[in-house]
Amino acid sequence: MIVNAELYVKDLPGQLVGSLEPISLVDGNIMGVVHNREQIVNHRICINVTFEVDDSAQLEKLKEIWKSKDMIISRMGSVYQTYTMEYMLIGEFDANYLEGLINEASEMITMDSMDMRYSSKTTTSSKRTGMIAVKTRSEEDLDRMDRFLSEKCKQSNITYVRGV
Amino acid sequence: MRVFICGFGTVGQGFAEVVARRQKYFLDKFGQNVTIVGVMDSKSYAVDPNGMDPLDLVSRKQSTRRVGDESYTVSTEVLDKVDYDVLVEVSPTDVKTGGVGLINIRHALSNGKDVITVNKGPLALKFRELIDLAKANRCKFRFEGSVGGAMPIINLCRESLAGEDIKSIRGIFNGTCNFILSKMDKGQPFEQALKEAQQMGYAETDPTNDIEGYDSACKVVILANSIFGRDVTFDDVQITGITSITEEAIALAASRNMVIRLIGEVSETKLEVSPRLIPKGHPLSISGTLNTAQILTDLAGPVTVSGRGAGRLETASAVLSDLIAIMDERKREA
Repeated sequence: MIVNAELYVKDLPGQLVGSLEPISLVDGNIMGVVHNREQIVNHRICINVTFEVDDSAQLEKLKEIWKSKDMIISRMGSVYQTYTMEYMLIGEFDANYLEGLINEASEMITMDSMDMRYSSKTTTSSKRTGMIAVKTRSEEDLDRMDRFLSEKCKQSNITYVRGV
Repeated sequence: MRVFICGFGTVGQGFAEVVARRQKYFLDKFGQNVTIVGVMDSKSYAVDPNGMDPLDLVSRKQSTRRVGDESYTVSTEVLDKVDYDVLVEVSPTDVKTGGVGLINIRHALSNGKDVITVNKGPLALKFRELIDLAKANRCKFRFEGSVGGAMPIINLCRESLAGEDIKSIRGIFNGTCNFILSKMDKGQPFEQALKEAQQMGYAETDPTNDIEGYDSACKVVILANSIFGRDVTFDDVQITGITSITEEAIALAASRNMVIRLIGEVSETKLEVSPRLIPKGHPLSISGTLNTAQILTDLAGPVTVSGRGAGRLETASAVLSDLIAIMDERKREA
């Protein structure tokens, strides 16, 4: 779980480090820190930190530590995680087929982004290659995408190659 | 320790050589020699209850193309001609019926003999039956060399990683396909890469088993049954080979910093061999004829092994490790 938190700490030396150490204490992973020295409220400065923890139990433990250190949590929002996968299709199809496939998939699967590219027909082969890169918000969506493309490729006698 | 070798091609001869090289080791560790009391190739056989010189057998085979003077038609009758402790079954594999290898293994286990094999056919087709037969007759049955040649994987999972919950195994289990795909990475068309693999001795004259993914599928079945305790056969594997991989596909993958590799994947629910897109630098993106496997465990995380998937001494080394494990077990039980 990736979390973005806004903390207000006393404007004293060592407070920044003091606010980050507890994240490591609960085995979290710090992904980004912004120290807003100009944003001062009641002699406290603002720190924005983005970090990753395994579960909500870890997050609760972290919140307790911050509170015990007199650090004020003014905002805490969960930041979603994205999952990426690449799919390659090799066979006799055209651009319309590929676009139709993506349209059909997007009706069933929530995709954050999708990038598609395909080769033109060459003189040596009537086969085309299409490559689809997809970002989703859950692994389940990637599994659904995999099952969908695998089934469609099987029906159309297209070779299906996916990432790992 | 009396050994009978069935199959005296590349691996059989390699094993005989290894036996000759390791006699001092056997004597030091176990206080006994390993003697070859029987050996047969596809046409001939030689038996001697007092043991035969392994290097003489190799040179006889190489000069006359026959390992013995006597001919035979029924292999199990030859097995009955001499008493032995361990059958080393390394005859050519037959993935459709199990071939003579299956007959020999069944016969040896039924007669209470320990068996070591690298023969994928019998294991891919009749794994459960053979394991049950070994159990019923209190025999040791080992097959490390059947997957990945010299790359340790079966014994690694069952012994060194004992206690781990193995989530999945993904790997490159066919050096020939990997050689072809690696050559295609450099711009060579499939047909030329295949021809080069044949000229270098990596691919058979009929490369179907390799390039259609059948060889990898056999190994996936062996892993599923031996590591995951599943009861599956060759027909249960979802197989896609590499014959439809085009130069364009390789180039398009490269444009996204990826390569295509033939990957076997096995888990509690998956049983698949198919070409996959692998990011460059990933442990499964290796080039050449090497085999590699990534074992995903719950405690140790991913464990990656690689090694030569085939070859005379390489595969013989896996047979040797099985033989030593059997000798160790026998010593403990004595």
